[in-house]
Amino acid sequence: MPEPDRSLDLFFEQLVEGRLSRRQVLGRLGAAGLTFSSAGALLSACGGVKGTATNSASKPVTANHPKVAIKQLNFSNWPLYIDKSVLKDFEKKYPGSNVKYTEEINENDDFFGKVRQQLQRGDSLNRDIVVLTDWMAGRWVRSGWVEPIDRRNTPNVTKNLQPSLKHPKFDPNRSYTTPWQSGMTAIGYDPQKTGRKLTSIDDLWDPKFKGKVSLIADPRDSAGLVLISMGKNTATATVDDWLAAIDKIDQENKKGQIRRFTGNDYTTDLAKGNLWVSVAYSGDIFQLKADNPRLEFLIPEQGAIIWTDNMMMPQKPPHPYAAETMMNYVYDPQVAAKIAAYVDYVTPVVGAQQAMEKIDPKLVHNELIFPTQETLAKLQPYPSFSNLSDEQKIVEAMQQVTGA
Amino acid sequence: MLRLSLRTRRSLFPYLLLGPGLLWLIVFYLIPILSQGYVSLQTGNIEQGYTFNWAFHVYSDALSEYGAQFARSFGYAAVATVLCLIISFPLAYYIAFKSRHKNILLLLIVLPFFTNYLVRTIAWQTILADDGWVVHFLQNVGLLSHDGRLLATRTAVIAGITYNFLPFMALPLYVSLEKIDRRLIEAATDLYASRATAFRKVTLPLALPGIFAGSLLTFIPAVGDFINAQFLGTSRQYMIGNVIQSKFLVIADYPTAAALSFVLMFVILAAVLLYARALGTRNLQDAAI
Repeated sequence: MPEPDRSLDLFFEQLVEGRLSRRQVLGRLGAAGLTFSSAGALLSACGGVKGTATNSASKPVTANHPKVAIKQLNFSNWPLYIDKSVLKDFEKKYPGSNVKYTEEINENDDFFGKVRQQLQRGDSLNRDIVVLTDWMAGRWVRSGWVEPIDRRNTPNVTKNLQPSLKHPKFDPNRSYTTPWQSGMTAIGYDPQKTGRKLTSIDDLWDPKFKGKVSLIADPRDSAGLVLISMGKNTATATVDDWLAAIDKIDQENKKGQIRRFTGNDYTTDLAKGNLWVSVAYSGDIFQLKADNPRLEFLIPEQGAIIWTDNMMMPQKPPHPYAAETMMNYVYDPQVAAKIAAYVDYVTPVVGAQQAMEKIDPKLVHNELIFPTQETLAKLQPYPSFSNLSDEQKIVEAMQQVTGA
Repeated sequence: MLRLSLRTRRSLFPYLLLGPGLLWLIVFYLIPILSQGYVSLQTGNIEQGYTFNWAFHVYSDALSEYGAQFARSFGYAAVATVLCLIISFPLAYYIAFKSRHKNILLLLIVLPFFTNYLVRTIAWQTILADDGWVVHFLQNVGLLSHDGRLLATRTAVIAGITYNFLPFMALPLYVSLEKIDRRLIEAATDLYASRATAFRKVTLPLALPGIFAGSLLTFIPAVGDFINAQFLGTSRQYMIGNVIQSKFLVIADYPTAAALSFVLMFVILAAVLLYARALGTRNLQDAAI
């Protein structure tokens, strides 16, 4: 790079303009957040409260949240994960309402660490909506820490939710969760550096790219992709299949093929050319392309991962009807298109693509925001383990490989 | 009103002075330490919670599993501390004895501290980038193989630690050198000591408290550092700080994280005591002053 300092300047510029996606900001400033949030996790770790896990997924679900005037709504989300004008429009549409929107979720585990003791004591979190990724959402549903959704109050969700997202394993009838945004985990690369178009997950192991490849440390992403390359399906794979995929990563790591295991912080290295090929999130690459249009996001021939962040009401929400109204509101295709245009992830709302014509016609045929049916068919979800020990076996096996 | 004799009041007064500090230590040091000790002896999992059952095996498991990261932490920190000393000593010596622009030079040492630690470290990512001039230069002069790299290597991590902790070494060294009474050196040379002998027999021993303090200030935080390994290294360079961080925040394995923290504390304590023993405890007091 001719001007070595430019990337940092650019970063702050983008930060000010709000052009960075949440994952990018997290990646680049992640560790700062970690050190602050670690205090919270440390404190919460001190108590050692016994859990009261109940399995409510098996019970029949009924919810009755009668219509009331909407006053307050406490909405906790990830940073830069909404176009804030959507909240203002909501307040205009429901006079007297006041959305307290907090960008407090930086990591699934980290947020869970903060509220774990309250959840286990059965206390209200005093939040109406929290947004968590599939596997963490699954843990909450499994443990009975969520309030069921009264679907009579969310007709838009019933009507407009992507059919492929309607029956996830962790919440088969979407009784507790409503998708917020989805994203793909696949391969981001710089064709000029690699010297060729990539097509397959196995291209990660091309000896020519030795030391220029990064994998995301979370096994759900990286081992998930490798699993797909082994011809398995993430939804049905056994623990042994996962361990085999992690073993493959271990072998490549020992050969020096993998430069680093990353969180969301591969983005800078990929833009700077320190990395040529990265396991990457779709929204990140979309954003990076603004700086480095050469970058490509490859959805490999074997398939890729799709994950979803889900809105849900934690136990004893203070304003359940308001929360449901919000869920319903963001499933209006116009609103969904507005959010998608801002966050650059995959919207779960049918009809948003048509609505996008008016907002930003350039995005209508962007595969990263609106994958085609053909692409969607190739995507596989994050694993949903029926118990924690299986999940931890895999997380720990991956930790062994990544060395932390 | 409580009436106390003058004597009683006099004898209570020191405790009154100690009060705020003591309270601070109890609330922010003793209680967290004890509660972490309690957590470190628990077993269980994140979903059902952890229960206390004197699980001492947490310690042996953690040690056997993360021995490599422990060794790496102490190795990297030791090398970085020695490098800091080698770089800082001539620097501090020059500023204390030779320079006419002491304040400016001291300011220059402290200046990087005006920038955030993270930003400083991330800036090194740019400097050491594969396509950067440093790597190109080293490749051209043959110090680095053609496909070699600096970023994501052990060299980068140790260099990062050295850079980030240099002022902690340089400033105490400067203070102890500055304090030396010049007449002692004059006296030595008057008594026919060569410059080298005067340095060895007068300057160096008098600078020992500075070396001692500087080494501790550099070594102790460097052992626990995880930022440099995370941004300039890879998992093959991860230090014990990275493990503790990820155990606490990612896998939420609090007992192991707490146990690792305790082991780290005890090993550092033991190392410091050995070091103090070697250099003499008087230096410890001098360094404190």
